[in-house]
Amino acid sequence: MNAMNPMKEDIHGRAKRLIAAERVEGIAASDREWLSGHLAACARCAALSASTENALRSLRTLPIRLSPTLADRARMRVSLRAGELRQERARAWALWISCSLSWVLGVGSAPLVWRACEWLGQEARLPDIVWQAGFALWWLAPVAAVAAFLAAHKRRAARMNDGMAP
Amino acid sequence: MGATTYLFSALMPDDAREIERGLRQRDPDLLDRLIEQYQYRLYRYLLFLTANRETAEDLFQETWVRVLDRGHQYNGKAKFETWLFSIARHLVIDALRRRRPESLDELMDPAEGQEGRPAREFAAGEPGPAELFAQGEEGERVAAALGELPSAHREVLLLRFQEDLGLEEIAGVAAAPLSTVKSRLYRGLEQLRGLLEEPRP
Repeated sequence: MNAMNPMKEDIHGRAKRLIAAERVEGIAASDREWLSGHLAACARCAALSASTENALRSLRTLPIRLSPTLADRARMRVSLRAGELRQERARAWALWISCSLSWVLGVGSAPLVWRACEWLGQEARLPDIVWQAGFALWWLAPVAAVAAFLAAHKRRAARMNDGMAP
Repeated sequence: MGATTYLFSALMPDDAREIERGLRQRDPDLLDRLIEQYQYRLYRYLLFLTANRETAEDLFQETWVRVLDRGHQYNGKAKFETWLFSIARHLVIDALRRRRPESLDELMDPAEGQEGRPAREFAAGEPGPAELFAQGEEGERVAAALGELPSAHREVLLLRFQEDLGLEEIAGVAAAPLSTVKSRLYRGLEQLRGLLEEPRP
């Protein structure tokens, strides 16, 4: 058995640490110089360094088998998804345009509707608060419907994207 | 194939800002070029993580769909491949969560002292790492050794020594502290060296 004293063990331990550190994160020039001198004098550590280098060379040169159709299949999926996104965007535009038109019409027609609600309330002898609430409902109902639709759409999108971080 | 891809990659303008702009506009030509440019590296990364060809191919396609969906989130400050690998990694984690939640631990935080434990989260029915990766006796031996490493160790070895990413970039991709990345690298390298030193049967 090749017994070594603790000092020599420390030297070999340091060499072993530096051999790995040089590859993993780099080492200082003074450490590199020391290591180089040690490897020139110590066959065991030189063999360790060589086997580490061999392992990395093997790793770097390891080929993989890449399917020749893989990129085309990915392109196809991306293209289909791009089509879906375009449709979604077109739907979203249509929705925003409808909302905008609805809002403009709503604002424009509000005085007329107010008078109509007032006339109906008076004809039916309803308290003011009732026909005013009817007017508010008429005005808010489309907004509430669109908000509910958008919230549902957002929830659906969030479910689809679940775990899609980052 | 790999060499051709690398050559192509070297000739392509790899401007992160240009990629950022193109992704924000969902430029189909840019995506086509990126798929071509990164196909080898992304597939290799997925194969290293999953050790399963079919799953790696599925996740490869899914990754590019996510790139399209989430392209506006790429800010052009980091390397594109770092962001790409992060997306791929999240998809692997999602797939693991669906298939075998217990195997997530190994990818997220491989237990200390379990060196040498095979990591084949997806590998049921697969021909084995040698068939997946390599041709030739040497390639099979390296692939078999890699198959013995925990997937988190395989991952950092790939990112450091094949992708040449910096330690901070690896920490970003692996969503792990720098100290953890270093620890995985040291352990993985030591394990790989030990396994490759074992006498051939």
